[in-house]
Amino acid sequence: MISNMLRRSLRGGVQVIPVEQLLGNCSGSRMPDVDPAALTQTLAEKAVLACPTSALSGASPVAERHLTLDYGECIGCGRCIEVAAPAFLEAKSFAYSGVRRDGLVRRWDISANTELISVAASPERVKRQIRSMLGRALNIRQLDAGSCNGCEAEITALTNPHYDLERFGIHFVASPKHADMLLVTGPVTRNMANAVRATFEAVPAPKLVVAVGACGCSGGIFAGASAVAGPVDALLPVDAYIPGCPPTPAMLVTGILKALRQADGMRSSSKNL
Amino acid sequence: MTKETGQSFAAVADLLRGGARLVAVFGSVDDRGRPIVHYIVDSGDYATFSDPVDAPIPSLTPITPAAGWHERELHEVYGVVLDGHPDLRPLMVHNTPRNAPVDGLHGTQTDGPPYRFLEVSGVGVCEVPVGPVHAGIIEPGHFRFSVVGDRVIHLELRHFYTHKGTERLFEGTFVEEGIPIAESVSGDNCFAHAVAYCQAVEHALKIAVPPRAEGIRAVGLELERMLAHVGDFGALCGDVGFNVAAAQGSGLKEILLQASAECVGTRYWRGIGAIGGVRRDISAAGARKLAETVSAVHREFAELAHDALETPSVQDRFENTGILRQQVARDFGTVGLVARASGISADIRRDHPYGAYRGLNIDVPLYHDGDVLARARVRVDETKNSARLIAALLESLPQGPISSSKIDYSRDRKSFSAVESPRGELLYWIETRDTRIARCHIRSPSFQNWPALPQAVIGNIIADFPLINKSFNLSYSGCDR
Repeated sequence: MISNMLRRSLRGGVQVIPVEQLLGNCSGSRMPDVDPAALTQTLAEKAVLACPTSALSGASPVAERHLTLDYGECIGCGRCIEVAAPAFLEAKSFAYSGVRRDGLVRRWDISANTELISVAASPERVKRQIRSMLGRALNIRQLDAGSCNGCEAEITALTNPHYDLERFGIHFVASPKHADMLLVTGPVTRNMANAVRATFEAVPAPKLVVAVGACGCSGGIFAGASAVAGPVDALLPVDAYIPGCPPTPAMLVTGILKALRQADGMRSSSKNL
Repeated sequence: MTKETGQSFAAVADLLRGGARLVAVFGSVDDRGRPIVHYIVDSGDYATFSDPVDAPIPSLTPITPAAGWHERELHEVYGVVLDGHPDLRPLMVHNTPRNAPVDGLHGTQTDGPPYRFLEVSGVGVCEVPVGPVHAGIIEPGHFRFSVVGDRVIHLELRHFYTHKGTERLFEGTFVEEGIPIAESVSGDNCFAHAVAYCQAVEHALKIAVPPRAEGIRAVGLELERMLAHVGDFGALCGDVGFNVAAAQGSGLKEILLQASAECVGTRYWRGIGAIGGVRRDISAAGARKLAETVSAVHREFAELAHDALETPSVQDRFENTGILRQQVARDFGTVGLVARASGISADIRRDHPYGAYRGLNIDVPLYHDGDVLARARVRVDETKNSARLIAALLESLPQGPISSSKIDYSRDRKSFSAVESPRGELLYWIETRDTRIARCHIRSPSFQNWPALPQAVIGNIIADFPLINKSFNLSYSGCDR
């Protein structure tokens, strides 16, 4: 029977997805993108009205005709894409994973049809940067601070043969004491607040905290819920954010690697000072 | 079948003594802020009862332990006093004053009296606390074991760490905007939650769902069941150290997730449910491709499951581990595959058909041993049935629109709906007022099944707990809300 099992493994062939196809990929997440050329006041207003969280804002005449999109609050429901095409479309690639909190926010001048804050980095540049990170080792402790289990399902998928996170030298550890990075999901519930702090304290320094999912980044759909303490950064110092509801495994890989690289950059620049 | 009488308790107690199954007990408030208690009972048909509460009411828990957690929640949230309930300790809020300001969160957790676990004492008795943070990518919850040597003699659950105030979040939102909340109750079966919520609204407001939308919903629900079972079967193998099978299970699950993303745009069917239908159509080519993938995955999975269950080391660990006896499963009102592995033939798709299931023949697997092996076998059989149903549904998807065009949200109504989620009967009860949700109660299968888990663990060695727990695979967030 075991021989059958092994035979099946061999027959299945190589399933692992090459890193080039993972980095910057966001298919299946329905993260929106905006085509500034097609953006009009009417479409922007429609999209803002349809957004069930406050990921989209502005677009009212008083708000200087600016449209703001905060990926940290976006749950990928696709409503803006439905009501405000062609200005809103599904993002083809995604550079906003593993960045700082303000790096998740984009803004457009509607009447000038331009984006005000330029895109943080092109997917190509991100790929080049990240490739230089491969061959390192990282221990991650995942911490569910109150999530719906959607992010957990996708984080678990990172260990399946298609994503095989171990090939990047990254693995999940059972104890926070063995961890370099805390990957925190969910809005932090009041009932979990103590355990979240205790887990953070158990991770030896230097440590990285990455907030995962719309809930981890901003509270998401649970922002302001009665038994929720807040997003992850209400309790812990967060180094990088991975948005999405839930983020796809590709967005998680991109975000984890990018957060690692960013921390590396920060460390070396502080040494130079 | 709604009765508004003062005789609800007596009627419910009679039905339960006659062998009916308790589905839910929960509260709401009327216009004047007075609590109302609602009972839902299944005695072949669902029956609902509700009573305004002015004074202490008798507890159902002495009649059926299935009422235990329901009544604890009713007491905690609505202040209803239940005479004769053996255990009214707070369930959902952990030593936190209700409505404490969020900015006081650094101090709130230590207020209030400490929670008292049942103390087990005697020669050689040792207490093992586990959680809320577990050693893996798992949701948080607390398990308090009392052991003698390796043998578990008592297990107490302390859950609701992921309690977010979800039901309260529904209150006051527009009916349509409840869907993303429902999708975030239990993330790995978000589509079942979306459909249960939408159906409850559709029943309440008499909204007709086009046949094509019902077909697409059933495809999504069956795909979700396959995802859960294929993944869980692999994980069960992983829990007994059979990593090759675990990797193959997780790989097959991933193929289904990618097929979903390609077919409807999201991996877990998030954002697909809509009131009066669905938000994404399936093209003819998409349907063909999905059907091919599902059948290929099922072929591989059937072989994998057969080989794994024929492997002596797997049999050795699965068989006779974590037995939940039929009577105990009945007493706790367990639902879903946990019930079906303990000799209780129940499946909402067959017993209370809804949507596209009305015209379908549903095979309900039944095993009597109540052990990890029985629960694994139910998963294998159901995966096969789901694959067959998906093929049949995709083959004959009716033509036509995918959503109801005219929806009037203005009527004030209440109703409920149950679906068979991968974990079992999932029920949404909703009340609408002025185009908004006035109250939404979610009775997840996990809330119903968690209290039965310790009964399957007692007598086993503590090292088998992860395996037994995985064989139930209950949702923490779905239970805690």
